[in-house]
Amino acid sequence: MAAQGYATPTDDQETWREASPPPGRLPVHLVAFVQGGVAPILGVRGINGRPIVGSAVACRVREMSVLRLFLDCARNAPLLEAVSAGSAVAATFSRARDHRSIQVKAASALLCEAEPGDLTEIARQCAILSDELVDLGYTRSQAQAYVAFDPTCLAVVEFRPDRVFTQTPGPGAGAELRR
Amino acid sequence: MNGCGLRALRGAMEGIAASILCTCDAEGQPNVSMISQVHWVDDRHVALSWQFFNKTRANLLATGKACVELFDPVTHARHRLHLDHVETRTEGPLFEMMKARLAGIASHHGLEGVFRLLGADIFRVVGIEQLTPAARLAVQDRPPLLSAVRSCIDDLARCRDFDELADAVLDGVVRHLHIPHVILLMAEGDGRLFAIGSRGYAASGVGAEILPGEGVIGVAAREGVPIRIGHLSADYRYGAALGAAARQAGLLAVEPCGVPFPGLGDPHSQVAVPILSAGRVLGVLFCESPEIMRFDHEDEDALMLLAGYLGALATLPGEDDPRSAGTPGHLPVERAGLVHVRHFPRDDSVFLENDYLIKGVAGAILWRLLRQNAETGRTEFSTRELRLDRTLKLPDHAENLDARLVLLRRRLEERGACLRIEKTGRGRFRLVAHCAIALQDMDDASAPAC
Repeated sequence: MAAQGYATPTDDQETWREASPPPGRLPVHLVAFVQGGVAPILGVRGINGRPIVGSAVACRVREMSVLRLFLDCARNAPLLEAVSAGSAVAATFSRARDHRSIQVKAASALLCEAEPGDLTEIARQCAILSDELVDLGYTRSQAQAYVAFDPTCLAVVEFRPDRVFTQTPGPGAGAELRR
Repeated sequence: MNGCGLRALRGAMEGIAASILCTCDAEGQPNVSMISQVHWVDDRHVALSWQFFNKTRANLLATGKACVELFDPVTHARHRLHLDHVETRTEGPLFEMMKARLAGIASHHGLEGVFRLLGADIFRVVGIEQLTPAARLAVQDRPPLLSAVRSCIDDLARCRDFDELADAVLDGVVRHLHIPHVILLMAEGDGRLFAIGSRGYAASGVGAEILPGEGVIGVAAREGVPIRIGHLSADYRYGAALGAAARQAGLLAVEPCGVPFPGLGDPHSQVAVPILSAGRVLGVLFCESPEIMRFDHEDEDALMLLAGYLGALATLPGEDDPRSAGTPGHLPVERAGLVHVRHFPRDDSVFLENDYLIKGVAGAILWRLLRQNAETGRTEFSTRELRLDRTLKLPDHAENLDARLVLLRRRLEERGACLRIEKTGRGRFRLVAHCAIALQDMDDASAPAC
């Protein structure tokens, strides 16, 4: 069992069951979670057929249903190319302080432009993540480097998740959270 | 691959920063997760820890391909590795190295019992992308390690016997590598290890015993590889195993005898490197620290170099003095009291009155010296005659005898015993007793709880 204070897959399953979002919408708790400075990461199938992983800098949710992941485009060119080519996507969000992790998947995604206000929200989420990393033992400079990105080279990957999984460590990790 | 190769990325594989992993299933659906451990294997391979039967595992079995992103917490460089699965190992040295580190990581994150290593997945690195360059140089808060190791080796090269080698290696680790807590242990033929010296502890712990596979020391010896933990896990703590072994032997009512292990009360970082020679594990050099993540790949390299040099010197043939030993001598005239020396043949443990002194080959050596002294009055002995004495069951390696004599001599000194062993020349020594000795060879029925 996980130590007291850490999340478990059972927690995710219970929270999921208790939520009752309108059809086509994500549960409020999930929308809040993914926008909470939770180290989003994105995976795709590259155009050569190999998997590619990349760290995103933040996530915003549009209309309670569409995830918008922000990535530094300079360090993620092959990943973004795969998205353009129609790759399926998977994104995982992990909260440093309690290891709660959720993975979402979609059959495809779109490449979009950043919008006014995105940078402010990205900065807020990065600040949260940076603080949590410092709490975990990172130095402030390490934490800031971990969340750093080039604001002039920002890509947005948008998708509507069609499957959700708990990835919190423990018995039941990896289970799909179904309606 | 870039010009520096995979070795230059080891700093990102220390386990300080989590890494991220992507696999795809046969239909191309990706799966991404944080991973706790990317283990550097060599210039072309890394290993990932397989902990659960999950989607990542299924994807690996289906496609054999993976992608990992690493972040170096010191230089802030970020790299992406493209990986092809080679094999999964579920036992052996690499598995044990990863298992120990995973236990430490799990302990640090409050996930002991959740993280369990099922296998070490080895991957060939088929591509390295630098995503962000190093933003800063690694600031060294320690002496240049190559120079420090050279100083250690200079000291070792001046030693004339194993006794001096043992002191030089311990002093060198403290003085040149700036690691204040260090223990040198030598192996018995059955895999047990005995401490023959230490630095940085209130009690030296000479004679303390580590069982095969116990803690980072026992695993390093059993597998012949360095074992390093940045956050100590309960699985690798010392002390419990000896008591458990005694209880399993049916000795529940008796406190196990022996010398307490001298380790730190609350260590966080530990590294144990095997002392190897010609494929054999002669012993283990062990360092620990109250700091988390105190030892990195570079420290491990330095200690392995030092241990390797010690192993080579320790197995050089001993220079026995050709002059004959064995002339009857006289025990010193000042003798106070009578001490009963008890010997238990089952494990060659020796007790002075009811106090445990030593066991194993060192115990057998002491018992032989005392018997000969009682029978013939001899006090002068040579290592050569011990080496040729088959009843001692010494393995055919020089360092075994030398290490045991050092252990025996130090243990007697530390105990403040009325018995002493004094060096009298190359390969020669004297048994000195400041008390009258009465020998009692015990039968197995009266075996002690050792």
